[in-house]
Amino acid sequence: MDTEIHTLLANIWFFIIGLMLFLYIVLDGFDLGVGILSLFTRKDDHRTIMMKSLEGIWDANETWLVLLGGALFGAFPPVFAISLQSLYIPIMVMLFALTFRGVAFEFSHYAQNKALWNLAFGYCSLLASLAQGFVISGLIDGLNIIEGNYQGTAWGWFTPFSILVTLMVVTGYTLMGTTYLMIKTDGAIQRVSIRQSYVAAVLEIVILGVVIIWASRFNLYFADLWADNVTGYSLNFFFISAVFAFVMLMRALRNGFELTAFFWSVIVFLASFTAVTIDNYPFMIPASIELTDAASSSKTLIFMLSGIGFLMPVMLIYSGYQYLVFRGKVHIG
Amino acid sequence: MEILQDPVFLSRLQFAVTAMFHILWPLTTVGLSLILVIFEALWLKTGDIDNYRHARFWGKLFLLNFSVGVISGLPMEFEFGTNWSSFAMMAGEFFGNILGFEGAMAFMLEAGFLGIMLFGWQRVPPVIHLLASCMVALGASLSAFWILVANSWMQTPAGIHLENNRVVVDNYFEAIFNKDMPWGVLHMWFACLATSLFVIGGLSAWYVLHRRNTDFFLKSFKLAVLGVIFVVPIQLSLGHGSGHEVFVTQPAKGAAIEAHWTTNQAGEGAAWNLLAWPNQTAQKNVWAIAIPNGLSVLMTGDPHGQIQGLSSFPKANQPPAIALIFYSFRIMVVIGVAFFGLMVWTSVAWLKGQLSSVAIGNRRWLLRAWIAAIPLGYLASECGWIVREVGRQPWVIYGLLRTRDAASTLPASVVAVSLAAFIVIYSILLISFLFFAARIIRKGPDLTLLPPSRSIT
Repeated sequence: MDTEIHTLLANIWFFIIGLMLFLYIVLDGFDLGVGILSLFTRKDDHRTIMMKSLEGIWDANETWLVLLGGALFGAFPPVFAISLQSLYIPIMVMLFALTFRGVAFEFSHYAQNKALWNLAFGYCSLLASLAQGFVISGLIDGLNIIEGNYQGTAWGWFTPFSILVTLMVVTGYTLMGTTYLMIKTDGAIQRVSIRQSYVAAVLEIVILGVVIIWASRFNLYFADLWADNVTGYSLNFFFISAVFAFVMLMRALRNGFELTAFFWSVIVFLASFTAVTIDNYPFMIPASIELTDAASSSKTLIFMLSGIGFLMPVMLIYSGYQYLVFRGKVHIG
Repeated sequence: MEILQDPVFLSRLQFAVTAMFHILWPLTTVGLSLILVIFEALWLKTGDIDNYRHARFWGKLFLLNFSVGVISGLPMEFEFGTNWSSFAMMAGEFFGNILGFEGAMAFMLEAGFLGIMLFGWQRVPPVIHLLASCMVALGASLSAFWILVANSWMQTPAGIHLENNRVVVDNYFEAIFNKDMPWGVLHMWFACLATSLFVIGGLSAWYVLHRRNTDFFLKSFKLAVLGVIFVVPIQLSLGHGSGHEVFVTQPAKGAAIEAHWTTNQAGEGAAWNLLAWPNQTAQKNVWAIAIPNGLSVLMTGDPHGQIQGLSSFPKANQPPAIALIFYSFRIMVVIGVAFFGLMVWTSVAWLKGQLSSVAIGNRRWLLRAWIAAIPLGYLASECGWIVREVGRQPWVIYGLLRTRDAASTLPASVVAVSLAAFIVIYSILLISFLFFAARIIRKGPDLTLLPPSRSIT
């Protein structure tokens, strides 16, 4: 009975953390994507509008990462400890990039030479996305862990496969950034965003295809899953979902449906992302740490549930309220 | 240097750098957010537009501060995993959980309402805006609360047992309300209030001294003085109480703070070292200026009360760098006393009617003293944290886990590079911050600013 409750609680927390991850990669994903896109424009007023579209929301978006870190640390301490230690380099790069990016965003308001800070904001967004890509791919590629200890080197996360997955993540962020800008802008800059959405969407689907082919050929762990009926089925399901969302996105782009385009771009990214991560369950780091072993005691999971868990809806409501307050097209001045 | 090839030492240094940098910002945001609420509420209550303009003006400095504070907090959370993975694995059940609480309650309050508070003046009715400001202030204080809960549990762990080398919580109430918690939370919270008040008061004094908007800034100056009269005496007594508590819960830290090496015999008192130069190898002070029986009287109230000396602990359980702990503590205390003196001086001047806009111009040294006090709150708090954290060594969780056993296995070169990167990035941030803050301060407040029109209510 006790173990059943513990398993249930561990699964609930797996779900909550999954939800936090989902919120983080969507919200900060488009946020970082807008940053990357700001590197592609030569017009200062366009860049100003792009950055202004993030005003008042970017820090709340990043807060989901803080929450994700805390929840993972408390609910699954070994997963937090082992994955961060073994991914030391990409995690540190991500932290440096996010730190500098955030400060660059705020400081550019005060600076007379805005171009320099804006550029820093753009490059740090790119760097943070790349680092997150490597963190994610490092986790799904399976870190070499024996009896709770990381056996690899400090560079174990850097493989051809992880580069591919990273490209997929960065392109996905950019895609969500372009469709977000469609909602927040109009005129010339919106037309640019629509064009960029097409490019990013096609790239995303192509990279997803390559990732899946590569994985089923060269990644033994992944190939086994593919051959297995149940997991192979879910892989196919998410791959097909991604393609379907891609088609719907194309339609929305052609018709200029702003919100719908953003919605489908999120689905394209999420389906691709899920296709390469979902099959880990019930392992938190593939083939090494199982969910229930990693989880804290039932008492702690309940304590966390009564605090953080019940606050989740509240947090969702007031961050939603914030989006409502800052809704509408962005203009200079 | 051999020590720079030790990844554990480098990790400690990196954590010290990130923590000492991070703590600078909450020191002002926690207090300043409350002061902003006061100005905004005063405006809504009295209708005095100057209060609105105060809220807007200090709000600019607040935003600048807040951004760096939030952003520099993020790396610390992750460092527990990257650099201290054995600690994270062992203590995550309680410690990580509390960080999660901090994130959920406080951080989301701050990040969720900050946008409305700073950019929403024209978008929401004044009452909703005041609510947003209150939430930001509440969030900042809650954040400090949870962080100090986590840290005080590392000082005086309670409510847990170990199972397979992992912490399992038996009693959450005991773990949260551990012995050090009330002292840690209150002493830090009041440190934030005091630092913010001296920053606001000092900057206002600067404007008054330069005869810029004297009447306007006298309002904030007097508010700061009122705040200080309330906060400083409490903070001094909290400091004294914490010092007392340390000798009970962490006697080795207490002895290190006072460089007290040998336990006094029955019938003799322990001397209180005002100044000393400790030598850890010889386990004694090279020289000391001491008040006989002083420490016994201070800590036990009895001139012959027994105080355990550092030498009575095995060397492996003694904190390192006794001189650092000893002098950090003294700098903190001297600043506290100086704050008290400045408070008395200003109160007397106020009672004599010398803080009026006509007379204040003649109290130039009083104003200069306030300006000089601006960095002191920061310095005192950094010193306090050095005492707290270095004094806890060689333990990361007092009596349970040694710092050396808490670290990740990492190559020294990797940690050295990340440490260097933190130093470079944080230096750029600090210099840019000071540059932009100076620009905001030089530019001064906008005294033509009008409150949002009533049409949106």
